[in-house]
Amino acid sequence: MKRVVLLLAVLALTAAPAAAQDVVKIGQIEAQTGANAIYGWMSSQGTALAVDEINKAGGFKVGNKTYKLQLIALDTRGEPKEATVQLKRLVEVDQAKYIFGPFLSNVFLAVRPYAAEFNGKLLMWGGATRIHDYVGTPGHEFLMRTWNWDAGKNGFGELMVDNLVKTTGTKKIAMLFQNDQGGKVLEDIYVPMFKQKGIESRLDYFEPGTKDFSAVLAKIAAWKPDFLFPGYADSYIYDIVRQATETGQLKKFFLVRGSLGPGLKNKDGIDEYMVYVPKHFEEAEKTDPKVAKFIKSYKDFYKRDFPYDQAPLCSSSCYDHVYMLVEAMKKAGTVDDPAAVKKALMSMTYDGLWKIRFDDKGEAIFNFDVVRLKKGGALEVQHINPN
Amino acid sequence: MTQLVLGQVLNGAIIGAMYGIIALGITLTFGITGIVNFALGEFMMIGAYATYALAERGGLSYPVAVVPACLIAAAAGYLSNKAFFRFTRNNLVNGLLVSIGLISIFESASMLLWTATPVEMHFVLPGALRVGDIGLPKMKLVVFAVIVIVIVMTYLGLARTWLGRAAFAYAQNPEAAMLMGVHTPRLETAVMLYSTGLAGLGGALYASLYSLEPAMGGVYVLKGMEAAILGGIGSLMGSLWGGVILGVIEGVGSIFLPTAFRDAYGLAVLVAILLFRPSGLFGDE
Repeated sequence: MKRVVLLLAVLALTAAPAAAQDVVKIGQIEAQTGANAIYGWMSSQGTALAVDEINKAGGFKVGNKTYKLQLIALDTRGEPKEATVQLKRLVEVDQAKYIFGPFLSNVFLAVRPYAAEFNGKLLMWGGATRIHDYVGTPGHEFLMRTWNWDAGKNGFGELMVDNLVKTTGTKKIAMLFQNDQGGKVLEDIYVPMFKQKGIESRLDYFEPGTKDFSAVLAKIAAWKPDFLFPGYADSYIYDIVRQATETGQLKKFFLVRGSLGPGLKNKDGIDEYMVYVPKHFEEAEKTDPKVAKFIKSYKDFYKRDFPYDQAPLCSSSCYDHVYMLVEAMKKAGTVDDPAAVKKALMSMTYDGLWKIRFDDKGEAIFNFDVVRLKKGGALEVQHINPN
Repeated sequence: MTQLVLGQVLNGAIIGAMYGIIALGITLTFGITGIVNFALGEFMMIGAYATYALAERGGLSYPVAVVPACLIAAAAGYLSNKAFFRFTRNNLVNGLLVSIGLISIFESASMLLWTATPVEMHFVLPGALRVGDIGLPKMKLVVFAVIVIVIVMTYLGLARTWLGRAAFAYAQNPEAAMLMGVHTPRLETAVMLYSTGLAGLGGALYASLYSLEPAMGGVYVLKGMEAAILGGIGSLMGSLWGGVILGVIEGVGSIFLPTAFRDAYGLAVLVAILLFRPSGLFGDE
């Protein structure tokens, strides 16, 4: 009997490392809850779905080995300190080499110095705007940015502002941002951009946590802007749009972040709500079989309605990116060398929900939609392909 | 500019009334029972989410949902009093510690139940009342009216009824009040029930105007505290006036100064007033 137990113990010990080698760990640090959760929640949803699909299909083959994915998704709640501890856990305890996220700039800036210590041994790809400042710079080879950059010839913000000027003749725009890292990022990008395009702008900040915007909205309305550009988080945009339209002070909105939701909720109070939407899923579901399949898979997996308003944010470090990573591992012929996998990623174009490629710095370029919502709910969708 | 300022005076008064209802809870609990309840914002949060759940998920109409929401907040207040607050009477530090603990418990529980992602109710009463260039949302006017009625009724209830006189007697000298036949433990419980129920009402009204998130109570209890101190702790009408003054200062201040520091304007004025009237504007000298 003792011999049998000993034999089983030896077998278990020898089998364990073999099993561990067949799993590729993906870590994820995104805000799944919290005031800014809109940016991480959908990413975490889509990633889990892709991992499940790949594993259910039997995994993927690299060389002679078949691998499955293990997703360790942690909820940062948008807290930089929490995210730093979580990243340490993922890297040191779970030994994950592929990190999805973060989408929030404040979180990225907090985790960056730690992640940089593992340059070459890690691949971190997130959507945070501040990643733009570091991606492609020496010491940051571990970084890739999974979201379109705002400015430049392929920049969605630049294309949106051009579109705004061309179609509406906007001369004055008021910006209302929260007084935090995200707000400063938008100021850095858009104040010079509006100036360059000949648009007069004013910028007001509000304290994070503000719920009543009536005073600042009244001040802005007195300036008589053509459009209001209200921050970047739906948690505030819902209140801002509601309060602005309820009193009829401001009825035209321009958003490069945030969803269509606040506009739809106040569709009778707005005149125009122009928003950058990586993909307008309601329309794409009818025209693109890949999108229809994704929506069906989502509903089957989560057993709930598809979140059409949040789904566009799956354009960053999400469903497509899991498949893209797997393709890159196959192409690189390794799952253990993040540098080689990155090289493969940089040279490929992935045709999934989005058509994604990376520029020479490692920043994503993908097709997106500009949606104009008019009073009463009429929608106009414009497809833009910077590829 | 005149219209802009006038609009913000009116709007600030309405927002200030929301601070006032929390201030009333603070002033009642502290002024009468000597208990410091910094967790009142959490009872507001409970009232707000309960209203949201009953109206949006439970299918009740908003006015109907408000009543059970207040009762739920009051029930949470009753349990908190029985378990913790009644042991902290006239002990500021213990009251503060219990409050901090309760804030943490209620916020975490709410986070588990609702997640920290904000939720929003549908419009209860859409549209705004327009006077010249000034537009005031109709629902805000209703909220203001409800709060003013509640505060005035509370004032009258305390000033003109036996229960009110008993409460004041208890506040002045609990032992003497007990000897005069006042059932002091029951009175203390009633004050806690009422103040937390009031906070629940504040939350229910808040839910009709703004999006909800678990941490919402923190901001409002600070404002309520400021309003109570500004009006004078123990002064019921002072809590309303304190809130209104605070709201107006924030609103008007935001027109002339950067809105990013809106909370600081009220605090600066509070400090300035306390320099000249340490017991607040309507407090006893």
